[in-house]
Amino acid sequence: MDAHPEAPPVVVTDTVKNAIRIVALDEAARARGVRANQTLSDARALVPDLECHQTDDARNRALLLGIAGWCERYTPLVALGSAAPGDHGLFMDITGCAHLLGGEAALVADLEARLRAQGFHVRLCLADTPGAAWAMARYGQTRIIAEGGHGEALLPLSVSGLRLSPALVASLGRVGLKTIGCIASLPRAPLAARFGAEVMQRLDQALGRETEAISPIMPVAELSSERRFAEPLTHQDEISHVIATLASSIIKPLERRGLGLRHGRLKLFRVDGHVSELSLQTARPLRDPQRILRLFEERIAGLHDDLDAGFGFDLMRLEVVRADPFEGVQAEMMTGHATDAGHDALIDRLGARLGLDRVQRFVLADTHIPERSFGRQPVAHLGAPGPGARRSAAGNAALAEPADLAAAREIITRPLILFDRPELMQTIAEVPDGPPLQFRWRGVTYEVAGSEGPERIACEWWRDGRGARSRDYFRVEDRQGYRFWLFRHGLYGRETSDPCWYMHGLFA
Amino acid sequence: MSLSRLQTATDILRTHTRMQEAQAHQSRPAALVGADQVSAPLALGASAVDRHLEGGLACGGLHEVRSPLARDIGAATGFALGLAARAMQADRGGRRSIVWVSDPATRGDGGGLFPAGLAQYGLDPSGLTFVEPCDLQGAMWAADEAAGCAGLAALIFQIKGNPARFDITATRRLMLRARQSGVLALILRQSGEEEASAAATRWRVNTHMSGADETYQRGVGALRLSLTLERNRAGRTGQWLLAWNPKVRSFNHAAPDPLSRTSPPAHSLDRLSAAADRRDPSEKMGQVLDHRQDFGRAS
Repeated sequence: MDAHPEAPPVVVTDTVKNAIRIVALDEAARARGVRANQTLSDARALVPDLECHQTDDARNRALLLGIAGWCERYTPLVALGSAAPGDHGLFMDITGCAHLLGGEAALVADLEARLRAQGFHVRLCLADTPGAAWAMARYGQTRIIAEGGHGEALLPLSVSGLRLSPALVASLGRVGLKTIGCIASLPRAPLAARFGAEVMQRLDQALGRETEAISPIMPVAELSSERRFAEPLTHQDEISHVIATLASSIIKPLERRGLGLRHGRLKLFRVDGHVSELSLQTARPLRDPQRILRLFEERIAGLHDDLDAGFGFDLMRLEVVRADPFEGVQAEMMTGHATDAGHDALIDRLGARLGLDRVQRFVLADTHIPERSFGRQPVAHLGAPGPGARRSAAGNAALAEPADLAAAREIITRPLILFDRPELMQTIAEVPDGPPLQFRWRGVTYEVAGSEGPERIACEWWRDGRGARSRDYFRVEDRQGYRFWLFRHGLYGRETSDPCWYMHGLFA
Repeated sequence: MSLSRLQTATDILRTHTRMQEAQAHQSRPAALVGADQVSAPLALGASAVDRHLEGGLACGGLHEVRSPLARDIGAATGFALGLAARAMQADRGGRRSIVWVSDPATRGDGGGLFPAGLAQYGLDPSGLTFVEPCDLQGAMWAADEAAGCAGLAALIFQIKGNPARFDITATRRLMLRARQSGVLALILRQSGEEEASAAATRWRVNTHMSGADETYQRGVGALRLSLTLERNRAGRTGQWLLAWNPKVRSFNHAAPDPLSRTSPPAHSLDRLSAAADRRDPSEKMGQVLDHRQDFGRAS
C-alpha cells in the first residue's frame, strides 16, 4: 500500500495470542522502525500517530479474488496460492500465453507495472514449477528463472520456501537444516521417516520431480476470443461493435467443431482493474453473430446500474463456456421453420434482459396431489423442448390423458386457476360427507346453488400415509354463477372429528 | 332528427375509413406473403357474435378482456384462453405457442394457472411460456417484444387494475406491433375499470349460472360467460351469453337461463366512451372496502 504523502504510516493489526500485533505495514511505517509481528503498543511507542486497521479475512479474500479475476487478462488459468489465511498469493499458468504479449519478460514487466499502477506492492517470479515460483517470489531475488534453472536457483533459499507448516520449518531448523540445498543433498528415506512425507513431496514439487496441477478459479472456456485496445473504449457503440467482431470471430471455430453457442461470457477489463462480467444463455445452440450481439445488448440494457465504463475498457474477451451440437436446420418450403426461430429468439431476448429464471414453462411432477403435480422451470434449464405443442416433452403425455377423459365425459373436472396454498374457509356442510351449503371465504359469504362430488384424492400409495388425511373435492357453484373447487380435509369420524374445509381453485 | 343525421354522418365517415383501409390493404407490397392469411378474422364460433364482428376478431391486433371484480378472473381467463386456443387452432403458418406475460401485482391473489385445467381448451401446457418480470415496466417491455414476434399464436398480458404507467401510448405501441406481426395480443385486466385504450375491442366478462345438465341435475354443467362487448372500433357494441364447448373447442350460444336474474338485452347498447388516463382509486383512511372488487382483501 502506498500511503499518501504527509499521511501517517498505515498498519494492519490482528489479535494473535491475546495480543494485538501488526500483520502488515506500509513503507513509511517500516522506515520509522515498525516491524511485522510487533505488538501494537510497541509500535505506538515508536510512532504515536500510527493509523491502524483491523484485518478482515473476508475482504482480503474478496480483494485477492478481484485481482485473480483481473489476472485472467494474461491467462485463463489463475489459481489462489494456498488456503492459509495469511498467504496472499496467486498462481498463474502462462503456458502458451507469453507470446501474445511479446515474450515472458514483457509479460512479467507488464503485469508488475499494471499492478503497481493500481497501488499494489507485488513480488513476482516466473519459473518452471509452481513450487519454485512460490519460493523465489517470497525468499529470492530473481524475477525470471531460466528454463531448467530452477533446481540451482532454489538451493540457497530458506526451507520456508517449500510451503511447509511453521512447526515443521522450526523442527528442521533445530537440526541445522536451514536451506533447501541442505535437504536436497541428504538421503531421502531417513528424512521422510523423521519429518514426514510432506517434506519430500514439497521438495519434489519445487524441483519438478513431481508434477503439480493448479486448480483455476473459473472453469476454462472451450473457446475464447479477445481484443486489446491501445486507447480504452467508453462508448456503447464501440463496445457493441467489438462484441460483434468477437462474436463473428468465434463462429468459424464453432462451425469447424459442429457446435453452437449455449452459454457465453463476456468479460470487460476496465483500465483501473475492475472486471465486469456478463453471462448469457440461449435456448438453442446459436451461431448467428448478430443475434449474439443483440442478446448482449439486451443484457447490458437490463442491468439495473448501467454498465459502468469508468475510464474505459482496454480488453474485451468473449468466452464460450458451453457449446452444444448445432442441428443444421434445413429451410422448409413453407413458413414453419422461420416462426420457430422467431420464437426461440424471443425467449433468448427475454431471458437476457429479465433474467433466465423469469421465463418459465410448466413441468410435471410424479404425484396426483394437485398443488404438487406441476411446477415451473426456467426455459433455459429445460434442455431443448420444442416450443410447439407437437414436440411436447415425454412428461406431458400424462397431461394429455385428463383432456381425453374430460372430453369423453364432457365434464370439466379441473379448475383453470389453482391457489398455491389451499385457503381455510368457514363452512356449513352436511355431516358426514355431504357437500357444503354455505361457506365464507376471504370475508365474503357464498350460498351454494349446485355441487358435484366428492372426488377423493388421498395420499400417494407409495408413501407411508399414516396420519395423512384424504381430501374430498367438490365442484361448487354459488347463486351468482361463480364456480369453485374446494375440499374437505379428512374423513368425518374416521380420520378426524372436526374436518376443515379449504378453497383450492376457480373454474372458468 | 339531428341525432339521426349525426349517426348517418358517422356511418359515412366509418364507411369511408373502411374503404381507405381496404385500399391500403390491397396496395400492400407482395413481399408480405400470407399477409391476407394472417389478417383473416378469428371467428369465435358463436354465429351471432361473429356476424356482429363481421367475421370475427382481427387476428393481428390488440384486444382487451377485463373482469370488473377480482373473482371474475376465472371467467376472464377462460375467455382469453378460449380466444388463444382458437387462434392456435386456426394454425396460421405454424404458429403454435402462447406467451403469457404477467405484471407482478397479479400474483397477490395467490392463484396461478393450473396445467390440468388447460385440457378443456386443448392447449398443451408445454406450449405456454410464462414471463414474470419483477416490475410493471419489465412486463410492458416483455409484452412489446412478444407482440412483435411473428412466431407466436397469441400473447396474453395479464395486469391488475388500471396502472397509470400502462397508458394509451403503451397500448397503441402494442397494437401496432401486433398488427405488424399478426399476433393475437390480449390484455387480461383483473378488477380493472374501463379505460380508453388503443385496443380494437374491449370485452367485459362476468360469470353466469351454468345450465341444467342431463348428467347431473344440480350439477356444474356447461360453463357460461356473460360477455359484453364494451368497445368496438370497427362496429357496434353488444352483449351475449356464451358457453365454451370443450369438444369442438369453440364458443357456443347458451340459452338464457330462466333462473338468472338479469337477461341480456337483445339489442346493442349505446355506451359512452371511457375516459383515458384512469387511475386506481386512491386509498383513503377509513375507506369502506369493496369486498366484491378485491376478493375481500385489501391488497
